[in-house]
Amino acid sequence: MRLGRGAKLALTAFATVVLTFVYVPLLVVGVNSFNSDRTFGWPPPGFTTKWWEAALQAQGPRDALLTSVKAGLGATAIALVLGTLLALALARYDFFGKHAVSILVVLPIALPGIVTGVALQSVIQNVLGPVFGIGAGLFTIIVGHATFCIVIAFNNVTARLRRLGGSLEQASADLGARPFTTFRRVTFPLLRSSLLAGALLAFALSFDEIVVTTFTAGPESQTLPIWIFNNLFRPNQAPVVNVVAVVLIVLSVIPVWLAQRLGGADAAESRL
Amino acid sequence: MRHRAGLAALLGPPMLWLVVVYLGALAVIFATAFWTTDPFTNLVLRTFTLENFRELLTPTYLGIIGRTLLIAVLVTVLCMVIAIPFAFFMARVAPRRYRGLLLAAVLVPLWASYLVKAYAWRTMLQPEGVIDSTFGATPGFGLTAVVLTLTYLWLPYMVLPVYAAFERLPESHLEASADLGGRPWTTFRRVVLPSLLPAVAAGSVFTFSLSLGDYIAVQIIGGKLQVLGTAVLQNITLDLPFAAALGTASVVIMVLYLLAVRRTGALENL
Repeated sequence: MRLGRGAKLALTAFATVVLTFVYVPLLVVGVNSFNSDRTFGWPPPGFTTKWWEAALQAQGPRDALLTSVKAGLGATAIALVLGTLLALALARYDFFGKHAVSILVVLPIALPGIVTGVALQSVIQNVLGPVFGIGAGLFTIIVGHATFCIVIAFNNVTARLRRLGGSLEQASADLGARPFTTFRRVTFPLLRSSLLAGALLAFALSFDEIVVTTFTAGPESQTLPIWIFNNLFRPNQAPVVNVVAVVLIVLSVIPVWLAQRLGGADAAESRL
Repeated sequence: MRHRAGLAALLGPPMLWLVVVYLGALAVIFATAFWTTDPFTNLVLRTFTLENFRELLTPTYLGIIGRTLLIAVLVTVLCMVIAIPFAFFMARVAPRRYRGLLLAAVLVPLWASYLVKAYAWRTMLQPEGVIDSTFGATPGFGLTAVVLTLTYLWLPYMVLPVYAAFERLPESHLEASADLGGRPWTTFRRVVLPSLLPAVAAGSVFTFSLSLGDYIAVQIIGGKLQVLGTAVLQNITLDLPFAAALGTASVVIMVLYLLAVRRTGALENL
């Protein structure tokens, strides 16, 4: 399609406006972390580094970060194992109800998070607590996160398996390898990079999650998003929250960069 | 025999997890929607009633459901209007060497924390914030702010599938249309848009469902605005059955939406 000069210019201008719309709020948060006005009046009356110093001293965000990392690692580990098993079952076998299973695995991210959250909370309060003596805490956060992270690992592994086909595994079996040997020596090495991409995505999803976490976290176990949300409306905590926000914006470059190295843009886009 | 054992070993653990942890919990919460609470103790009583669903149909809650739908539709339309020309620019107008960079520029904010982005708009829109001091006025916290912020939050979810669709679109189709005398605008309307439909529908599944279920951003920049999500939240401790009924309503709306867009082939695009 041949576009006129005018149309091209208009589209370029439009794209510039969109990118400005996308990045200005993030830049403002960055500038505000040095804003000497405690309530972030704009334009900043002066600049200071005292909020960064205060944030580095603060214990709250550090504890929350640790909880978030633990929850992310736990949920990712469970999701990788369960998602890979499920992907192998669906890719390599035909069975009754296959279609239903592939819908079931998507449901935890397709339905509103608040529904999943309330449902899990009532299980914690009515079953896990009274029957097993497990209260809301890190363990229940991991259970909740793993549930919606399964689909991420599942999708990544399924896409890889579909591309590979089954001939290499058949060759391995023909050469006398038992199923587990075939998995260890053939399937797993072929899946490794898709597992890494899946792990990255699952960890990022868990790290950012707040809705389900609100209902599964106990008072003693705050993840970083929960900590931010709880302190967002406290005026004297606002500058520290702002510094944490800047750190998170800067950190979000890492997964994009890692995903591009792992599997091209596909991996980064599969955040969808 | 060996075949069945292998399948069971693979399928067993994940199905056990999904069915017990997830479906079990969901089933309980949907059942709760048909129960009631003791007015004095607020405890859930397991007696069957349709009262919760009847209350959904009162003007207050129909208003909340209507407002939530309005927000979800506005956000989806805005995302489409912004994403289609932008993705077209990325895929077809921008010089090829900048495409990777542009894609990264769209992806980085997608990975930035949801809360941070909602928070960024709070500081933009607050009195004496950036918008107020630049334009001399701010829409403040409310419906406009919610639509604006949700559009901002979910925009990449629309840009990426549409961009992928533009990339897949064969140049020869566009040339054929031009050779047959189609002007750029005609080509866009008759050739490009139809092949874009599944991608736009796939993106809209995200923008619509995420807007429908959101209550965190609404609390941050919505002021006193009431939507389905905040209504669920307010009823959880005092009236769990009614909160469950509200949650059921949002699930029903979402399922209807999925069924509607399934006809475009969007679900294979997810």
